[in-house]
Amino acid sequence: MEFLLENILNLVGFLVGLIIGTMSLVGFRNTGSPTLFRLTIAFFSISVGFFVIWSGYMLEDFVIQSGSIERWIQTLGIGIQTVGYFFIAFSHSIKSFFPKSRYFRSVGVFPLFLVSSVQLEHIFRSVSFILLAYGAIETMLSYFENKNKGAISVAVGLALLAFGEFLGWYSFVFPESILDHVSTIIKIGGLILLFIPVSKVPLTKIKFDDNFDDLK
Amino acid sequence: MAEYRTHMKIIGDILYTTRDDLQDEDGATVTYLIRKANISHSRISRILKTLVSQGLLEQVDSQGSNRYKISQSGREFLQAYHTFTKFADNFGLNI
Repeated sequence: MEFLLENILNLVGFLVGLIIGTMSLVGFRNTGSPTLFRLTIAFFSISVGFFVIWSGYMLEDFVIQSGSIERWIQTLGIGIQTVGYFFIAFSHSIKSFFPKSRYFRSVGVFPLFLVSSVQLEHIFRSVSFILLAYGAIETMLSYFENKNKGAISVAVGLALLAFGEFLGWYSFVFPESILDHVSTIIKIGGLILLFIPVSKVPLTKIKFDDNFDDLK
Repeated sequence: MAEYRTHMKIIGDILYTTRDDLQDEDGATVTYLIRKANISHSRISRILKTLVSQGLLEQVDSQGSNRYKISQSGREFLQAYHTFTKFADNFGLNI
């Protein structure tokens, strides 16, 4: 059961990250926007992170067959994902600091309370939680400014990923409990919510004519 | 409080102005663009120079003054700009 859920999560994460990362890359190549460049790095990192963990599970399942995934592979994958979450949060911090914002400073004190373990995986999960929570809050705030419904889906998606990371981190306290499965299912839901608004962005090339009113 | 605009947003505003606000074929004067895009002369001069060198705007000499018209590349850039502005909006970001 754990392997099945983890495989679904990692494959969904890999695909969602790859698709959004590719769309961001196309956007960056067409517009040269630094924001889209940061999103490209973010989602490609998230995609690679999920792929590394999925590879670890496949390796364990078909080659090593020890009963549990190699810890360093899991840590590496989570670490790469954390880099991706950092770039999402970083994009928001640039937007918020210029003009300045108080939110980042208030969220920035959280690591002092959360990073208490010496294990890298715990630290990565804690940092991921903070970055995802920050990204979710900033995205929700942008919804209140722009009323873009897609932002709600992304904000809830990031919030679910944050909650999933939190439960995943908490399952270290209660290993082999249902918390781990719940965490995985919540994260799958979060990834799907991230993808929904992005899937509606039309990327097909439209022929130019004299009527550009639909672009206004 | 005034809305913060990224460099990309200012470029978008200039291109939208040259595309949508001008009914004649003469193009927009620098003064008109300064007023519509709401930026300083020195800054818009640098941006216009870049946009012309990149082929997004065409510089025409009309009635003794420089005017700017959007090119086909500029129109295609605006379409991409519009699409990816919506894309970034979903993440609560400005491109």
